[in-house]
Amino acid sequence: MNLLREELSWITPELCLTLFACVALLVDLFVQKGRESVMVGFFSLMGLLATAFFLYRQYGVTPPAQPVFGCMVVDPFSTLFKLFAVGALAFVVLFTMLSRQTRPDGYGEFYFILLCAGLGAFFLASTYNLLLMYLGLELLSIASYILAGYAKGNRRSGEAAMKYVIFGAVASGVMLYGFTLLYGMTGSIDLTVIGPKLRDQFALDHGTIPISVATGLCLAGFAYKISAAPFHFWTPDVYEGAPTPVTTFLAVASKGAGFAALLRFLQAGFIPDRTLGGPEAMMGYSDKLGTLVAVLAALTMTLGNLAALGQTNLKRMLAYSSIAHAGYVLMGVATMNREGFSSVLFYLVVYYFMNLGAFGVVMYYANTTGDEQIDDLKGLGWRSPLVAITMVAFLVALVGLPPTAGFIGKWFLFTAAVKKGFLWLAVVAGINSAISLFYYFRVARAMWLRPEEEAKYATVHASPAFAALLLVLAVGTVWFGVGFDSLLRYCDYSQNLLR
Amino acid sequence: MGLAGYLIVAAILFALGIACTVARKNVIYVLMGIELILNAANLNLVAFSRFVGGLDGQIFAIFSIILAAAEAAVALAIVLNVFGLFDSIRPDDPDLMKE
Repeated sequence: MNLLREELSWITPELCLTLFACVALLVDLFVQKGRESVMVGFFSLMGLLATAFFLYRQYGVTPPAQPVFGCMVVDPFSTLFKLFAVGALAFVVLFTMLSRQTRPDGYGEFYFILLCAGLGAFFLASTYNLLLMYLGLELLSIASYILAGYAKGNRRSGEAAMKYVIFGAVASGVMLYGFTLLYGMTGSIDLTVIGPKLRDQFALDHGTIPISVATGLCLAGFAYKISAAPFHFWTPDVYEGAPTPVTTFLAVASKGAGFAALLRFLQAGFIPDRTLGGPEAMMGYSDKLGTLVAVLAALTMTLGNLAALGQTNLKRMLAYSSIAHAGYVLMGVATMNREGFSSVLFYLVVYYFMNLGAFGVVMYYANTTGDEQIDDLKGLGWRSPLVAITMVAFLVALVGLPPTAGFIGKWFLFTAAVKKGFLWLAVVAGINSAISLFYYFRVARAMWLRPEEEAKYATVHASPAFAALLLVLAVGTVWFGVGFDSLLRYCDYSQNLLR
Repeated sequence: MGLAGYLIVAAILFALGIACTVARKNVIYVLMGIELILNAANLNLVAFSRFVGGLDGQIFAIFSIILAAAEAAVALAIVLNVFGLFDSIRPDDPDLMKE
């Protein structure tokens, strides 16, 4: 009994989130019509706050990696990603409360499904168990399918949901098949057992074909979740068609959780402990896997950036930009070492601020004008300076220029790649950053370099709440470009404890 | 029959499922393909559980069957919605968002 209580206490954040998801569903029944969005949203925010509090208490856990029920693990790595997910959810809830795009009725279910998706991200970030990883992925995915199609009667939203569900179900099915092959080869579904077993198999030198097939199938599932090439085709349509708060969730929280699971998967299963010295075959395989990821990274960022150049819709442009950013982050994954992985964590946090901000501006703009075209932003800078200034900060960070966090994040990714010997990859990424300057600059030009008279819409005032949100995100974007020490140390620390 | 037989059947099912989804004739057709992929994985799990090790595989298979049902429910609801909006269940027909 005591043991049970002890173990349960480690998953308080998950329990808290589950509880408040149910509360959100119930509150919806008792609130008068028309006020659901605010009231249920308020309870969801309370729940996220409580969850964040429990997570904060686990911040400096001792012992550093606490197993729970033999299938979850609480360590700084998972805590970082859970805080990341909670923060993203909080912004998505706030965006939803301020948005007019989501349908007027049925908000209780919306927040319920959103919190459930967050729970899926929690499990995905904190498990070595293939079963729980699959469950977390499906919980996140199924909830996301529903959210993408939430704007009932909206044809674009319906199309987005259909494309998402078809693509997602196939990708997760393929990944499940890969998991079963791993299980067959090692007799275990625990990655911490699978790793050493694979090492033994490499030592026996049976050849790497079966392992390659299994890994390849698993990687397909992860690539879909983080929208990396060649599994990125769903991204532009889904991001454009889904309601903007949902797009924000998909671009930030869902992608972050996908990266968390990918890092754990690679770290536990496929990175030999170099100090102990694994069999030669495994070292070689790990390097080959790294090279494969590097090629995918180059492909992803190039495809994303080239497609983004021709876009006229702001949301669709940001969708392609988020594909390109998945490519940059994969550059850190490709190094298959600690330094690369901690630069991945750092960049994801930075990405969180700048993308939430950029999508926030899109939502605000679409909300007030019903328009998402880049050219129609003309003169916005003169009419709504606050929104336009924060947008410029996010754009500068997305390009990766100093003094923003985007620069520092990219710097770490580039150095990690170069140190590992992927000089060509760093060059490709550099060229890509230069390309991205063009399409991000187009937005800034439309906002600022056109005379005020050309503005298509009259002044669109941001509500104080919304202005505050944008300011917080903009300050974060710039702050981590200067005071990044503590964050970097935490990213590195959480890597130490991943074996 | 040994392990290999089960694996071969599962691999054939998997290939058929992929073929179904790639053909993209009709969304229902695609959803059936997805079921085939998931069932190929289930067959693998149960066979490995019998011949390689432990009950893990069977537990995994039970979870995966339940998830497949949940996924199918959501997918069918979405397809129904799309049919209402576009009067078509060909996956290529809704294309409002092309550049």
